[in-house]
Amino acid sequence: MTLDLVRVVAQIDSLAHNLRAEEKVRYERLHSAMSLLSSYACETEKLRGKIATSKTSWLIAEPQGKLDQSCPPSPCPDDFTVIATDGSQIDVDRHYSVSCYLINIGAVTLHYGGNPYASLESTPFLYFGEESNLADPKGMWKQAIKGDLLGIKRSVDECRHLTELAQSLPLGTPALALLDGSLVLWRLETQGYPDFVKQNLLEEGFLSSLDSLSKLSEQGNLTVASYISSPGSTEVVNILRLALCPYEIANCDRYCSGRDTVRKCEVVAGIRDRDLFQQLLSPGERSALFLTRSKIVRESYREHQILFFYLRLEDEVARVEIPRWVVDNGHLELTHALILDQCHRGEGYPVALSEAHEKAVVSSTDKEQFWHLVELALNHSHLPFTTSAKSQSKRTRWV
Amino acid sequence: MGIEMPLKVAEVIEANTTEFTAQCYELYQAPPFGSLVKTSTAPVEIYGIIYNTTTGSIDPGRRPLARGKEESKEEDIYRIHPQFSSLFRTECNVLVVGYNEEGRIHHYLPPHPAHIHSFVYQCSDEEVYQFSQSLDFLSLILASQGKSPVPVEELLAASLRYASRTHPERGEFLITAGRELTLLLSKEVNCLSTILKRIQGE
Repeated sequence: MTLDLVRVVAQIDSLAHNLRAEEKVRYERLHSAMSLLSSYACETEKLRGKIATSKTSWLIAEPQGKLDQSCPPSPCPDDFTVIATDGSQIDVDRHYSVSCYLINIGAVTLHYGGNPYASLESTPFLYFGEESNLADPKGMWKQAIKGDLLGIKRSVDECRHLTELAQSLPLGTPALALLDGSLVLWRLETQGYPDFVKQNLLEEGFLSSLDSLSKLSEQGNLTVASYISSPGSTEVVNILRLALCPYEIANCDRYCSGRDTVRKCEVVAGIRDRDLFQQLLSPGERSALFLTRSKIVRESYREHQILFFYLRLEDEVARVEIPRWVVDNGHLELTHALILDQCHRGEGYPVALSEAHEKAVVSSTDKEQFWHLVELALNHSHLPFTTSAKSQSKRTRWV
Repeated sequence: MGIEMPLKVAEVIEANTTEFTAQCYELYQAPPFGSLVKTSTAPVEIYGIIYNTTTGSIDPGRRPLARGKEESKEEDIYRIHPQFSSLFRTECNVLVVGYNEEGRIHHYLPPHPAHIHSFVYQCSDEEVYQFSQSLDFLSLILASQGKSPVPVEELLAASLRYASRTHPERGEFLITAGRELTLLLSKEVNCLSTILKRIQGE
């Protein structure tokens, strides 16, 4: 017996009971948040001033238009292309004597219109030896690429491949280059990696790709976006929190840290941005634009400041992130129209991302086969391939 | 009869002595049921007859869904979802009916099966004509009874109809084939009758 589902069922019943009890409070908070959104809808300038001066413990977006704005989609062009990449990885396994990792990139080109065609590909990249570390060019420091950092490296590779795909597109035809997840590599900031890691992955990696995409966008009809399904972010709700804050210049640490009293802004606690826009927008509509004020973006993203909007679909609200130059180049409406069209074609999720994922995915069987091939190659070269006792124990289960 | 270049249509993905499976290069572009194909596995060319064609999802875990409720034409589904052509594949099952070694055609099983990734060519009219000079391949088709997912009677009739089109004396070829079948199926009158009905009037 592994997982005792009979015992779990009783706990799931408690979970459902608890959620039912919380539902009333959540409904009241959502109602408050919706009222606030209408009340402060036209106070964008005032709110922006307060956002600029305040110090909050939560991430807060900067509104670029009326808070309760809802924009219907424009029609799609007759001929257009959608490109997308997604990645999957096999992480370094400390139980094996060989230190290496693999990134598999799925890349998709879908052309719609008079001459429709599709290209679905995947390319695996095995990194080992010096490539499995990032080295500080000024010193002796090395940072192993594994775990969270491998996830970031994968995002960088996905963006680089997307750029290569974009470079192969004919100029002129409207095109959308789409990534899965966020354009904000916030984990680079929060994990406290050394500067040379940030330099390598962000400046020379991700931002370098955005530089190229920006040029292509300026020259032609290319727009770039990332798509987050069912986002958990609260950056817009946090604008309402700030609006509720009684202090002229909010400072959570100074005024509210450690206080026993309930903060006034708690009226909207637990509400996510998507809950708000699920109520506010009709299917197909997008919200106003918001500027992310994530520290890494403000300090390191240069001209690639990241804006986002929420997109209401039939069954969910998605978050779409775009670099600021997409708007400057006049491609905002194209982005809205093409992503919505992708979701319609993909039963609620962009079909290009869905297919890129299908090409990229590395199953547990693939991982087993991969390590088996590594073992075979080492044996062939008369090199030892050792595994830890724990790994061996998992592979040869016994009674 | 003019010389035709062989048309490369598929690639072997599974093989044994009596049959092979080939993946077609183009979706829905399998050679017709009952037609003669060949695969080059040096030093011989193996001949086979298409006995079954399947089109389905490349990934067995991804089952196609009905998509055309709102469309007026089937082509529109592929226009709206251009990736479908890359996500489905057409495979054909081929019954081995002989081989060619150093220019000599044998109407019995080759010494070795086809190699995986061998190219599969549609035989030219001239090759079909030359191959069907002997009707010994009919007994190999009959021997597959019970193995094939399609009735052997249908396969025999289809292969004869297909071959007959390359013979200038088409009627005479079919009469000879009918006589051959009468000998092979002397104890299976119903089966013989079914086949003869299917080749009549060609």
